[in-house]
Amino acid sequence: MTATTTRTPDGIEIADREDARSILRHGRARGAGSAGPWAARAGRYLLRRPGLVVAGLVLLLVAAWAAAPAVFASGDPITGVPADRLLPPSAEHLFGTDHLGRDVWTRVVHGASLSLRTTALAVVVGLVVGSALGLLAGFLRGWVDDVVGRAVDVLLAVPSILLSLAIITALGTGPTKIAVAVGVGAVATFARVMRAEVLRTSTSVYVEAARASGARWWSVLGRHVLPNSAGPVLALVALEFGGAVLAVSALSFLGYGTPPPTPEWGSLISGGRDYLATAWWLTTLPGLVIVAVVLSANRVARALETTGEDQ
Amino acid sequence: MARYVARRAAQGLFVLWAAFTIAFFVLYLLPSDPAALAAGSGGEVASVDPALLDDLRARYGLDRPVLVQYADALGGAVRLDFGPSYQSGAPAGSLVAQALPQTLLLTGVALALAVLGGTALAVASVLPRSRWLRQVLSALPPVGVALPTFFIGLVLLQWLSFRAGLLPAIGNAGWQSLVLPAVTLAIPPGAQLAQVLSRSLRGTLGEPYVETARAKGAGRLRVQLGHALRNAAIPAFTMLGVLVGGLLGGAVVTETVFSRVGLGRLTVQSVNTQDVPVVLAVVALSALVFVVTTLVVDLLYPLLDPRIERAPTRKAVAA
Amino acid sequence: MTTPTRRRGARPAAAATLATTALLLAACSSGGSGGGSGDASTGADAEPVAGGDLRFAITVDSRCIDPQQVGNNDAIAVARQTVASLTAQDPDTGEIVPWLAESWEVSDDASSYTFHLREGATYADGTPIDAESVKTNFDAIVALGATASLGSQYLVGYEGTTVADAQTLTVDFAQPSAQFLQATSTFSLGLLSPASADLTPEERCAGDYVGSGPFQVESYTQDQEIVLTRVPGYDWSSEADEHTGEAYLDTVTFQVIPESSVRAGSLASGQIDATAAIAAVDQPQFDGNGFWLQQRANPGVAYQLFPKESSPLASDEAVRVAISKGIDRQQIVDTVLTERDQAATGVLSHSTPLAADLGDLLAYDPDGAEELLDDAGWVVGDDGIREKDGQKLSTTVTFWQDPAPLELVQQQLRQIGVDLQLQHVEIAESTAIKESGDFDFDYYNLTRSDPDVLRLIFSANARNINDRPAEEVDDLLDRSAAATDPDERGQLIEEASRLLVEHGHAIPVYELSTTIAAADRVHGLTFEGSSRLDFYGAWVDPS
Repeated sequence: MTATTTRTPDGIEIADREDARSILRHGRARGAGSAGPWAARAGRYLLRRPGLVVAGLVLLLVAAWAAAPAVFASGDPITGVPADRLLPPSAEHLFGTDHLGRDVWTRVVHGASLSLRTTALAVVVGLVVGSALGLLAGFLRGWVDDVVGRAVDVLLAVPSILLSLAIITALGTGPTKIAVAVGVGAVATFARVMRAEVLRTSTSVYVEAARASGARWWSVLGRHVLPNSAGPVLALVALEFGGAVLAVSALSFLGYGTPPPTPEWGSLISGGRDYLATAWWLTTLPGLVIVAVVLSANRVARALETTGEDQ
Repeated sequence: MARYVARRAAQGLFVLWAAFTIAFFVLYLLPSDPAALAAGSGGEVASVDPALLDDLRARYGLDRPVLVQYADALGGAVRLDFGPSYQSGAPAGSLVAQALPQTLLLTGVALALAVLGGTALAVASVLPRSRWLRQVLSALPPVGVALPTFFIGLVLLQWLSFRAGLLPAIGNAGWQSLVLPAVTLAIPPGAQLAQVLSRSLRGTLGEPYVETARAKGAGRLRVQLGHALRNAAIPAFTMLGVLVGGLLGGAVVTETVFSRVGLGRLTVQSVNTQDVPVVLAVVALSALVFVVTTLVVDLLYPLLDPRIERAPTRKAVAA
Repeated sequence: MTTPTRRRGARPAAAATLATTALLLAACSSGGSGGGSGDASTGADAEPVAGGDLRFAITVDSRCIDPQQVGNNDAIAVARQTVASLTAQDPDTGEIVPWLAESWEVSDDASSYTFHLREGATYADGTPIDAESVKTNFDAIVALGATASLGSQYLVGYEGTTVADAQTLTVDFAQPSAQFLQATSTFSLGLLSPASADLTPEERCAGDYVGSGPFQVESYTQDQEIVLTRVPGYDWSSEADEHTGEAYLDTVTFQVIPESSVRAGSLASGQIDATAAIAAVDQPQFDGNGFWLQQRANPGVAYQLFPKESSPLASDEAVRVAISKGIDRQQIVDTVLTERDQAATGVLSHSTPLAADLGDLLAYDPDGAEELLDDAGWVVGDDGIREKDGQKLSTTVTFWQDPAPLELVQQQLRQIGVDLQLQHVEIAESTAIKESGDFDFDYYNLTRSDPDVLRLIFSANARNINDRPAEEVDDLLDRSAAATDPDERGQLIEEASRLLVEHGHAIPVYELSTTIAAADRVHGLTFEGSSRLDFYGAWVDPS
């Protein structure tokens, strides 16, 4: 807990980048084999799963929104045309306009960046802290395992949104703080999965062999345990990403995110709730975007999970 | 048996204590000064009248060493006394107690809806002859899981309450005002339950076998389904603690959207005004609810499934 | 100062009313301007029916309903019904008329007031309303100090109350305090039973006090609802009231509904009978169709940005004036308010007595604004925001009111290169941040039916909202308080308002108005003299 809150987000990002890189490298190296058959297999695999393809495309699309919003919506997300206020969806305004005449589509596209960055940071916080705890617990066992196990129990005992709200009470509001608050809520799950994976792999024959041959514990950890534990954790990353989108948007909806006029998905919907009776598009359309993203992330997570099981 | 119960209860107490302790130190030791928070200054100590701050520190006992404060807070919490709210001066514990019944009613109804709806959907997603229909039905739970609670609430409000004028939107008056919030709250956990149930149903039944049963007539299938459902219910039952926790969390958003009185709205208000004692009381209460639910589930579990030997592991709570 | 509380989307009826005796006649001309009653509300065609419950939605529970302590609109709506005052103000004429005091004499220098109380009036617990109990009330309000934010302000310079006999008392001030007579008509100086003076402020906030009005507190469930019941035997209504005797309604239930859309939905579906907090966008559906709207323009200081000129940014006159010129006030009314609302045409809203129309000074002039900023050395940067000596022309306004008008102001100011950041917070947080003094511009309005509020707020010798050294305008303002001739006073007020706007000490935006929206079964719910809601004459069709 304390480790989570005192570490700077930058530190977490750097640590995670290294972590993620190693996970990805080993994960891919493991799965690759020879290139030709692999590609064909992947093609067949995807063909049989159109839903997964759509999910992947949705995630790619919103990532593109976040990276280059102006390509998808050239208008100004901040300044509207007051005379065009509260227009229903049309060819000109795909998602209609809000009470100040701002184009909702433009605001959704431009809001992707902040929403996804906050979400990603939250997942990173959960991943890094949780995996580190799980890794230590599973690898060192003994009292460390006990302490971590208890901590996980405690974190799970409080509903994650209440945990996040308590942290926000203490830290204050803003996207970074929301990310930390949501990330802490995800720590327990990551720690549990990581611990289970480490326990599984570290009792395997090759790890025993490596140990017996006198390899240092960190090299055993780095070369054998970590790479082999990465698969399910990666699936969990996708799953937690979906959950974090929900949590972040809920906290933004409650008003703990960015102040106006910066567009952000949760606060966009929150801003539309005064117009429920007159302008349905202000809440419904941005809401559907969130649903699509979460649905896609969950679908990808399920695919990663089952692939992991196959292996 | 008694020893087992005692050990599980002790574990529960430990979790409660730890949750309280962590929440206490997060809320009291992080950057902001509680007295400044009480003065409503959001941590800008220098700018508030120092005499007022001293006064507030003395009033809330914040001028004492942290460990003394902690011991005092813990002692108070055991007696359900969380100190006076920074905002209203009323005891935080009684504010929570006052808000609790409405939230219990809401979450209780939502839980019933989630269990009934989730089970029905899970069964429906394996039952129909048409493969197409089965696929459509089994695509529903993932969608339900992906819906933000506030979005469900707003859409229901908008289309059912405002457009169709079907059910009243507000208040804590009568069953009508409970329907929309309860449905809103029930959808995500119901979908979660449906996912788990239908997965284990499909596992238990096994596709080829079911096809055979189907071919031989639906009656046979129904018998098989009854057995399968009973088995599938057991893992689902262990989810209860998580579901109840999720419902409490969901109440925060639901009560805000529907302007309902309850624990969730109290929480939001307390977070907005940084009313630390109330937030602490809410966190402690939610941990208590989780611990009690999990304990009950653990104790009933062996009764439901006689195959399970009572071999409790330390991870039982986490699992 | 008043701190009216409101959540998103609500329309506040703000603060208190100060009036000098000299102005009461002048107020007649404009006092009734917004008082036009909704068609159904007057009930000319129907006889009032006693009994029933009226469910009224408020936006927030500010955790206090003690009339002598409250300062926010929703709490005032509740508290006003529970106390009677020495005097009342006629909502149509602005005249001060008898209520608990049958008559009064004011000394020539307005520093001493003698009231003669009516016989037979009692507090809700049966204690007689005598001179001694009035003294207890005023002494207690002074003792409460800042906790009684409005009342203590009305009693500035209070030297004491002398009780001559059971029905006669004299209130003395150290210096002339002409506003006091009108102040005795407000809820803030409403009378509580002497027993209530012994309670702690918290106990009184929780509704444990005993009042003197037509209703009393039956129950108060925090954040949920407040129920008032009719006081049996109440028979000391004011001369401004249209009937005598007890109130018509058995009970008034104030329900706390924070969500704007839920309030609208509840009114539409009949779960509540009335509210004064329907968002502009939802109002048209309640104009007819079984509902009625009644709007009253709030007199006093219009919604505006108040520069705090001790801060470097707001000390730059070019910046202040440019911001004023860069605001398109009509666009705000057209876009986020109703057609019945008005853009600010002066520092004081048009319904304030002696308010001057300065519309020419408040015209939208983005070119002029840009020119001013260019000349002052504020250069447009890469991001479109101006900067000077490395400092960005960017400032944060902290507020709790309806965010939509300021969001539009923000958008308008961006066009001239000014970055206005909005920090929309809860009322408590807002007050605290403002206490910290760390801001360039403040934002609020004050409802008062007397132009003296201009002096009170702006004069360097009074509250000095601008936090600036005394200058020409202060002389005018201070002289206006002493002027007894309405013409002379009007001249001074207009001149002062003009200077305030020209130098950017005041940046008016729009005028506040309050709109009651109610179902047709509700009658007689209206505004009292200070634009407070008045449930005394309200009645409902038997259901």
